[in-house]
Amino acid sequence: MHTQKTKKVLSAFILILAFVMVITACGGNQNNNTANQPGNEAGQGNEGATNEAAGDSALAKALNGEFKGTKVTMFGPFTDADEVKFTESIKAFEEKSGIDIAYEGSKEFEATISVRVNGGNAPDIADFPQPGLLKGFVKDGKVIDVKSFLNDEYLKKQYNQSWLDMATMEGASGEVMAGVWARSSVKSLVWYNKKAFEEAGYTVPKTWTELMALTEQIAKDGDPAWSIGIESGTATGWPATDWMEDIMLRTTSPENYDKWVSGELPFTDPIVNNAAQKMSDIWFNEDYVYGGRKSIATTSFGDAVKPLFDNPPKAWLHRQAGFITSFFPEGLTADDYDWFPLPPIDEQYGQPALISGDIYAMFNDRPEVRAVMEFFTTGESLKSWIQTGGVTAPMNDADPSWYPNDQERRMAEFVKTADTIRFDGSDLMPGAVGAGTFWKGMTDYVSGTVDLDTALKEIQAGWK
Amino acid sequence: MRSRKGIRKSKWLVNTVLAIICLVWTIPTLGLLVSSFRPAADILATGWWNILPHRDWQTTEQLQLPKDTDLRAPIIVNGVTYTDDQLRAGVEQGGERLIWENRRARLLNVQEKEWTVISNFTTQNYETVLGGKTYEIKMPDGSTKTEKGSGMSRSFWNTVAVTVPATVIPIFIASFAAYAFAWLRFPGRKTLFVIVIALLVVPLQVALIPILRDYTALGLNGTYFGIWLAHTAFGLPLITYFMYTSISQLPKDLFESAFMDGATNFTIFSKLILPLSVPALASISIFQFLWVWNDYLVSLIFLGSQPEVQVLSMNIANLVGSRGNDWHLLTAAAFVSMLMPLAVFFALQKYFVRGLLGGSVKG
Repeated sequence: MHTQKTKKVLSAFILILAFVMVITACGGNQNNNTANQPGNEAGQGNEGATNEAAGDSALAKALNGEFKGTKVTMFGPFTDADEVKFTESIKAFEEKSGIDIAYEGSKEFEATISVRVNGGNAPDIADFPQPGLLKGFVKDGKVIDVKSFLNDEYLKKQYNQSWLDMATMEGASGEVMAGVWARSSVKSLVWYNKKAFEEAGYTVPKTWTELMALTEQIAKDGDPAWSIGIESGTATGWPATDWMEDIMLRTTSPENYDKWVSGELPFTDPIVNNAAQKMSDIWFNEDYVYGGRKSIATTSFGDAVKPLFDNPPKAWLHRQAGFITSFFPEGLTADDYDWFPLPPIDEQYGQPALISGDIYAMFNDRPEVRAVMEFFTTGESLKSWIQTGGVTAPMNDADPSWYPNDQERRMAEFVKTADTIRFDGSDLMPGAVGAGTFWKGMTDYVSGTVDLDTALKEIQAGWK
Repeated sequence: MRSRKGIRKSKWLVNTVLAIICLVWTIPTLGLLVSSFRPAADILATGWWNILPHRDWQTTEQLQLPKDTDLRAPIIVNGVTYTDDQLRAGVEQGGERLIWENRRARLLNVQEKEWTVISNFTTQNYETVLGGKTYEIKMPDGSTKTEKGSGMSRSFWNTVAVTVPATVIPIFIASFAAYAFAWLRFPGRKTLFVIVIALLVVPLQVALIPILRDYTALGLNGTYFGIWLAHTAFGLPLITYFMYTSISQLPKDLFESAFMDGATNFTIFSKLILPLSVPALASISIFQFLWVWNDYLVSLIFLGSQPEVQVLSMNIANLVGSRGNDWHLLTAAAFVSMLMPLAVFFALQKYFVRGLLGGSVKG
């Protein structure tokens, strides 16, 4: 009897063991093999000739196939169409170098990246659309200094100084170059329906006064001039912050703008108040805005551009970054639309340009990751994306002839010739303000639940 | 004592209230279902209830005002004076309504109420969700290249691969544990059981970073085994407790007689306990299955969204696009992702109500 019992227990144990082994076996197959396989170096020896970089740089080595079979993980916020375009743009490099760039896009990038980095599971390269978010990681010393493998001369050749300045952040021990700028977007653009605009006999305004006169003229003709929408799910309010930043750049000095972004100049300051007033002159005039003030907070920013292309147009002007072309109604060609820069308000500050961009930061230092980072400093890495439209290259060696149409080419030129270039302020401010109270305060103000002073106080409270 | 009539009356009342609650409960889902078959532009323009017959303003004729009409002065139409604001919002006049068609052209619509039904339906949303989006990329030479995005089918099977083991494993382990807690006497039994109960109240979020660190060290990130383990661990306390309440209620005599006849613990478990607790097993399976199927957070952290392992909930979240421009696809995606849980629910439904009581009688 006793032996029988032991036997049964034993068989049960074996059963469980077998079950567990089956599970582990299944799981094991899914393990990604990241081991280096430096075996196959020989085959692609002469590919390196096409590369201009110095022979001993990581990129040159990569193009020689030295890192063949390695894998570099990337994590970023672009999904969907952007992901397809990104994958397209790195395809040639992957084929040439044999490095597999495994990109992972998530809608929850901002929330997830902190968990991943703190959990020790940082991707090799992460794409930050908000440098403010990156600052924290740099301070904790989690990010590899780009200057540790790319020299100053090379970086200066690839980027304008203002880009390099924006990438320089306070590290654990001194300043570090936190990442490389990979794609950028120009924000100070006012879009219009080219054909209808010309037919109606309007002219592109060069100054703020002309812009307001045009707005009034369109209102008299029977249409609201502006189409504005700031709804964007949990990020509702961000287009309003862009307007504020654009007007700030035009009503005060760049130094004040920098102070404002870093928190030294409070939102409650008359300078900020004045900028908000300027915005309200357009936004809260029922004759100037399509649907009136009440519709601004409930209209999705992506849908806001559509009335421009109704036949006949229901609205005429729309201020938004270059990416908005992907929200245009289907079937529109470059002949149908155009843009002009949001004109200067105070002459002494010239024509400023508000920009935003993605900075790629590196978390793991391996030769193949260095090579991929170096690849991202070249215009070549963005070529096919530029050609398909929707991005502006921050790199100097991007060829203007790559841009698919005049509108996009002029954006690149506009940034180069602008008197002041400043990065989107809300993306630089700490998350609690830039992606928190600033969005919310502007939304409250626009929807009319609070007055301007209360709204500005609310926003300022985010700094603490 | 109440009369029969009174009981019948109260029953009737309860049923009515329940019916109303059910109706209110399902209306949003119904709206979602209707919306999933409507084109995106229509969803923006009108509510889903407009598919029911209703009276709406229809343009019967148009009035052309003189082109030089001043919009800021009172506007005279057919001898009646209106303000611009009135004409913008639409002004009623003897059963007719006047509203701008085009202010710039000074064109007015004269509208009358008529019965209408919106019957513009499409299966486009479902086609896109199931087959994947197509991206048209303009190539430098002017041609367009079409890239096909991944549809839902792959992530659907990924989710099945995550969910089925993540449901079976914890229930398997928890049933053993529940049997031991209920019927075996061993030292530390009570203490261990209290610890299991205590774990019920620990939110899984606090464990994310520590576990992620361990997973990184063990190389379990982004593997199915890792996510099974995570779901198993997070699910075990509740399932153990649930199975314990069900198993501990079984009559003691049953086991004693089985024991007398020489049955081992394993025989008792497999021949007596398991068949007797099928209702409890079925209902906790539904719970765990639904939880894992709908889970977003745990897979986001431990599995990531690489296409080869990406689960349905993450695929759906990414469907809306980088800037949320394709929100209308969510309606169809929600229904596709509902199919499997619904199938599981209806398959196990007859056990469900019986099993639900399992946790309630003995606390």
